[in-house]
Amino acid sequence: MAFTPGSRGGARGGRGGARGGFGGSRGGARGGARGGFGGGSRGGARGGFGGGRGAPRGGARGGAPRGGRGGARGGARGGAKVVIEPHRHAGVFIARGKEDLLVTKNIAPGDSVYGEKRISVEEPSKEEGVPPTKIEYRVWNPFRSKLAAGVMGGLDELFIAPGKKVLYLGAASGTSVSHVADVVGPEGVVYAVEFSHRPGRELIGMAKKRPNVIPIIEDARHPQKYRMLVGMVDVVFADVAQPDQARIIALNSHLFLKDQGGVVISIKANCIDSTVDAETVFAREVQKLREERIKPLEQLTLEPYERDHCIVVGRYMRSGL
Amino acid sequence: MAYVLTETAAGYALLKASDKKIYKSSTLIQDLNSADKVVNQFKVAAFSKFSSAANALEEATAVIDGKVSNQLQKLLEEAKSDKKSTLIVSDTKLANAVNKLGLNFSVVSDAVTLDLYRAVREYLPELLPGLSDKDLSTMSLGLAHSIGRHKLKFSADKVDTMIVQAIALLDDLDKELNTYAMRSKEWYGWHFPELAKIVTDSVAYARIILTMGVRTNAQDTDLSEILPEEVEQQVKTAAEVSMGTEITDIDLENIKALAEQIVEFAAYREQLSNYLSSRMKAIAPNLTVLVGELVGARLIAHAGSLISLAKAPASTIQILGAEKALFRALKTKHDTPKYGLLYHASLVGQASGKNKGKIARVLAAKAAVSLRYDALSEDRDDSGDVGLDFRAKVESRLSTLEGRDLRTTTRLVREQKKVELTEAPAYNADADAVPESVKDEDSDDESDSEEDTVEKKRKRDESEEEEEEEEEKPKKHKKDKKDKKEKKEKKEKKEKKEKKEKKEKKEKKEKKDKKSKKQKK
Repeated sequence: MAFTPGSRGGARGGRGGARGGFGGSRGGARGGARGGFGGGSRGGARGGFGGGRGAPRGGARGGAPRGGRGGARGGARGGAKVVIEPHRHAGVFIARGKEDLLVTKNIAPGDSVYGEKRISVEEPSKEEGVPPTKIEYRVWNPFRSKLAAGVMGGLDELFIAPGKKVLYLGAASGTSVSHVADVVGPEGVVYAVEFSHRPGRELIGMAKKRPNVIPIIEDARHPQKYRMLVGMVDVVFADVAQPDQARIIALNSHLFLKDQGGVVISIKANCIDSTVDAETVFAREVQKLREERIKPLEQLTLEPYERDHCIVVGRYMRSGL
Repeated sequence: MAYVLTETAAGYALLKASDKKIYKSSTLIQDLNSADKVVNQFKVAAFSKFSSAANALEEATAVIDGKVSNQLQKLLEEAKSDKKSTLIVSDTKLANAVNKLGLNFSVVSDAVTLDLYRAVREYLPELLPGLSDKDLSTMSLGLAHSIGRHKLKFSADKVDTMIVQAIALLDDLDKELNTYAMRSKEWYGWHFPELAKIVTDSVAYARIILTMGVRTNAQDTDLSEILPEEVEQQVKTAAEVSMGTEITDIDLENIKALAEQIVEFAAYREQLSNYLSSRMKAIAPNLTVLVGELVGARLIAHAGSLISLAKAPASTIQILGAEKALFRALKTKHDTPKYGLLYHASLVGQASGKNKGKIARVLAAKAAVSLRYDALSEDRDDSGDVGLDFRAKVESRLSTLEGRDLRTTTRLVREQKKVELTEAPAYNADADAVPESVKDEDSDDESDSEEDTVEKKRKRDESEEEEEEEEEKPKKHKKDKKDKKEKKEKKEKKEKKEKKEKKEKKEKKEKKDKKSKKQKK
C-alpha cells in the first residue's frame, strides 16, 4: 500500500543515514498532512483511498478498457455532494465525495484537456445578495501524472505553488502541464519544453487556452536555444526519461533556476540503465545531481502508480552545496 | 568598456557594465545578488525593439540558429566606439558569428559569463525601463506560440512521416485482409467446404465467390481468368459432389459483400505498396537497394525518421526491433540478439544457420553507411549505386561464408558499370578467394575487430604478393615455404573440421531419419 510509511522508508533507505535528523521531524509533518487525507472519520479505512475505489471498479466496470486508469468516475458523479478541501500543498485540492480525489482548480473553465472529469462546486459569495460563483476543478489522476503520484505519495515539499514560475522539461502533450498551470494560477508561469513535434502539436493546442503556459518546441539539451523565452524560474520539473537526464536538468538549472530554487525530477530507472536494479540507478542519479550543485532533499518511490519510478526533490545551491 | 548582449522576447538589449573586467570577477554571485546591485552595475546602452510579431519570430529564429541578423548588426555597429571594447555574448555560436562581423569588439562567451547572465535575467524588468515582468511574459508567450507554430509548419521530417504512416497502414491492411479472408472462408465454407482446400489464395477465393455465387453455377461459369486450367477443373468437379449446405440468395448477397471488400482491399494494398516503394526509392535509394523497401521502411518507422536512423550506429541498426530481447539479454547477462528487423532482409534470409548473424552484422554496417549517404549527402541521385556496390560486397561475403556462389544479378550490373567507368576498382574481388582466413572463425557473435583483422589479412596477402613480384630476395623462398606450410596446415585443419561437421550432420540426419521412420511406423 502506498500510504504506509513503510514503503517510503524503504525507498529512502538508499540515500543513507545522513539525513536521519530531519526524517524524524518530517514524520510529524506528514502525519498531519495525512490526517487531511484519510484520517478522522475514515479512521482505520485508511486504505480506503485505494481500496474503496477498487470495489466499484471491480463490479460495475469489470473489463472496461480504461480500467487501470479509472478512479475519476465515481467522485465526479457525486455532483453536489462533493466537498472541496485544500491540500497541504497550496494550489492542490482534495475532492471528498464517494471517494477522495486529487483535483486542481481549472484555469480554463469548461475545458477538459485529456478527457479527465471536471467537478463544479458552488462557492458561496462573501458579500450578500451576490449569487454564488461556480468554481470548476479538474481531477488529477496519479496513474497518469507522475507529479500527482508524488503528491499522493506524500511529497514533503513540492515547490510548485500559486504564483511560482516553473520550467517543465518533457511536457509531452501537456496533460500534466495543464495541472501544473492550474496550481501556479494566473500569476504564475509554466514554461513547457517538449522536443517531439507530434505531442508538441497538442501542447500548443492546450497552451492556447491557458495564458500562463508558454510552449517551447525545442530540445531541452540546448537551453541556449530558448533563452529568449524563459526568464528565471523558481522550480525546474523534469520528466524527460533520458539516459543523460541529470545533465539536461543541470544545464537548465544553471541557466534558468534561481539560487535556492527547487528541482523536482521523476526518474524512470529503465530509461537510464536497465541492467542494474532501480535503487542503484536512483542512487547514481542523486549523486550526479549533487555534483551539479543540487542538494537532494527527498526521494520517493512512485509505487503503486508506476513501477521502478521515483521522484527526487532537491534544492539548487548556486554557490555550492 | 564591457557590453553585455541580452536577447529578450521584446528585443535586443545592449547593457553597459560599469566594471570593465566584470566577466573576470570571481565574486559575481555576491556582487550581483540584489536588484540594486545589478541596476548599479548595468546601464542600458541600447535597446532594439522588435517591431512586430513577425519581426520577433524572424529575429528569434536567427538567434536560435546562431546567426547575426541585420537588426542585431545595426545595433552593434551603432554601439561600437573607437576604443576596443568587450562584448559578452551568452551563446558561443552567436559569439563566433559576431566575431566574424569584424567590429571593434573582443567577444567573450564562456562559462564564467553564466552567473552574469543569471543576474541579468533575474532582474531584467528592473534593468529595462518600461518593461514589466508581466510585459515580458506576454511577449515571450506570443513569441513562443509563433515559434512553435512555425516549427511545426516547417517540420523537417514531414517526408519520412509519409513512409512511417504508409508502412504502418500496410501492416494494418495485411492484418485486416487476413482476418477478412479467414472469415470469408469460414462463412462460404458452409456452402462449399472443398473450395478452401483447392484454392488457398484468399483473393482468388474471394473472386471465385464473386463470379460463381452459388456452387451449382460452377459448370456454367468461366474461371479461367482467376485460376489455371487444372485447378478450375478441380473446382468444378468438387462443386458437383460438394457436401456443403444450401444457402439462400440473401446469405450469398452478404458473403459477396465481404468478398468484394477483400478484393478491394487487396487492390488497395497493392497500390499502397507501390506508393511506398516509389517513396522509398526517392528518399533512401541506397538503403532500399541494400535491404529492400519493406525492411527499409520499417527501419525508418522504428527510428522515427530517416535522420534519426542515419544517426544510429550500425550495431543499433542491426538489432532494431529486437529491443525486448536485447534488454532481457542485458539484464540476465546472456547473449544479445543477432538481428531485429534486418532478419527479414533478403540477404539475411539467404544465409543459413549461424551465418545469419554474421551477415546481419555486415549488412547493418553497410546499411548504416548507405543510410548516411542517403540522408546527408548533398549530391545524391536516386540511382542507388552506392547501395548496389555495398550489396555486391555483402553478397560476396555471403558466398565466402556459405561456400557457394550466391552472387547473381548484382554482379552483372557491377561488371557493366566497371566497363563504363574504367576507374580503378575500389573493391578487389580476388581478395575473396582466400576463404581460409574467413572460415576458421566460428563464433557467431564475433566483433567488428575480427572483421578488420580479416581485411587486414587480405591486405597483407596482397601486399606480400606485390613485394614478392617487385623485389626478388633470397628471403622469398623461405617466405613461400612458410606460406605454403601455413596454408597446408590450415587446409588440413579445415578439412578435418569439415569432416567432423559432416559426420555430425550425418549422424544427426540418421537420427532424424530414424525418428521420422518410427513416426511413420
